[in-house]
Amino acid sequence: MLSRRTRIALAVLVVASLTFVILDLRGGEGPLSSARSAVSAVTGLLQRGAATVFSPVTSAGDWWSTWRNQAGQIAELRAENRELERAVRESASDRARADALDELLRVATAGRYRVLPAEVIAVGPAQDYAWTVTIDAGSLDGIEREMTVINGQGLVGRVLKVNQTTSTVVLLVDASAAVGGRVATTEEIGIVAGTGRQDSLDFQLLDPLAELVIGDSLVTFGSRGGRPYAPGIPIGEVVDITGTAGQLTRVATVRPFVDVSQLSIVGVVVRPPREDPRDSVLPPREEQQGQDEQQGQDEQAGDEANDDDANDDANDDANNEDANDDANNEEANVDDGASTEANTP
Amino acid sequence: MIVRQGLVIGIPLLLASIIQVTLLSRLGLPGATPDLLVVTVVAVALAMGPVQGAFAGFLAGAIIDVSPPSDTVVGVNSIVYLAIGFVAGYIVDNRDRTVFGMIVIVGLSCAAASLGTAIVDSILGSPRVLWDSVPLITLSSALYGALLAPAVVPFMEWLTKKLAPEVLLEG
Repeated sequence: MLSRRTRIALAVLVVASLTFVILDLRGGEGPLSSARSAVSAVTGLLQRGAATVFSPVTSAGDWWSTWRNQAGQIAELRAENRELERAVRESASDRARADALDELLRVATAGRYRVLPAEVIAVGPAQDYAWTVTIDAGSLDGIEREMTVINGQGLVGRVLKVNQTTSTVVLLVDASAAVGGRVATTEEIGIVAGTGRQDSLDFQLLDPLAELVIGDSLVTFGSRGGRPYAPGIPIGEVVDITGTAGQLTRVATVRPFVDVSQLSIVGVVVRPPREDPRDSVLPPREEQQGQDEQQGQDEQAGDEANDDDANDDANDDANNEDANDDANNEEANVDDGASTEANTP
Repeated sequence: MIVRQGLVIGIPLLLASIIQVTLLSRLGLPGATPDLLVVTVVAVALAMGPVQGAFAGFLAGAIIDVSPPSDTVVGVNSIVYLAIGFVAGYIVDNRDRTVFGMIVIVGLSCAAASLGTAIVDSILGSPRVLWDSVPLITLSSALYGALLAPAVVPFMEWLTKKLAPEVLLEG
């Protein structure tokens, strides 16, 4: 069935193979090993060249499965990216919230107000002309009507209505709001009233002859029992005065410390302080602040200098001890160690 | 039937009121707050007719007046929105049912709402209305309303067609 040529060819190949096997099994140097090394030298070279050419493809690793999974991997990476972006955004907003709470804590601590923090969740539409907001704390949290609402900058307003879990706060800038104010430097009192505009309040001194200058700060005078307004809360700064001293209608325009368009974290004063905190809650004036800082730095520098002296003395002592107690090395080491520890601030 | 129509009107209004006080009024846009509620009322009037528009206006005003943080006299917005809802549903005819006509009606309604509220509030003796800022509030309200209209009006029409087809006005 096979042609003659085929049979011959097969027979030659089988014989040749067997010959190779026999030759190789015989071992030692022979024609086969030299042929093999010659051939492998050539194929080796070819292999290296091919590997270089194909390396861009092969170095991509498992390229077939990579190619098939690209869509999946892209989706995975995108999801991961979204997750990370969200985390970054949230950390920024968390930081802003933490800062607002810190500020609130500073004011509450300075004035010894007991505050309940809350967050503004809704704002009345501008076309109602009413400056009212909803906060996310209500009667279940201990909020009652006519409680004072503050934030880290100063007076925000007072609680108008209370539901179980939310309350309505009427802001100080509302045209229906009025609060007793005291000038921080001269102790003069008067009435601060909202105008319905977010950046101005009216201040009318009770004593028309009282001295008032632009830049004076106002704090709340305080109501009986601390409601609706607890005492000592910063209200704002006098920016304009109309009329002269002695005139009956002498009204000052006051810029509130609180920016009502940026309200987020507020604090409801659930218990006013036992004593009027006077002016202690007001933010320090700028030039004073500068001086304070300067002074603080000087003091710090002085302290450091003293510390250095003390350290030097202590080290000297330790060295002396070392010198004296050469005989008892162990003890000296212990002493040294102890004095080093003591020196570490 | 009536109950279902009430829900088709009421639920969007409730959502609109919540979006309005928690999102739109906190954006700090110049002038008025975008009056999504009035736009929704007018959308109901355009989709269903004057009676439903009036009902929607009444409901919307009641919602905004009683829900926090409102401190206005309850009923002021109800009266104003009711009138707007009725008039919008009454005057519209099929020739106005174009995108442009719709935007004009909604813009005018929003302006009328801010102006009407200011007038009624003043008549009732509210100390709050600042008449020198009323023009800005009115104009900006009309502008914001006109911008909201192309989204809200077709949505309300679609909702009516799906859920209360018996009252849909043919456009």
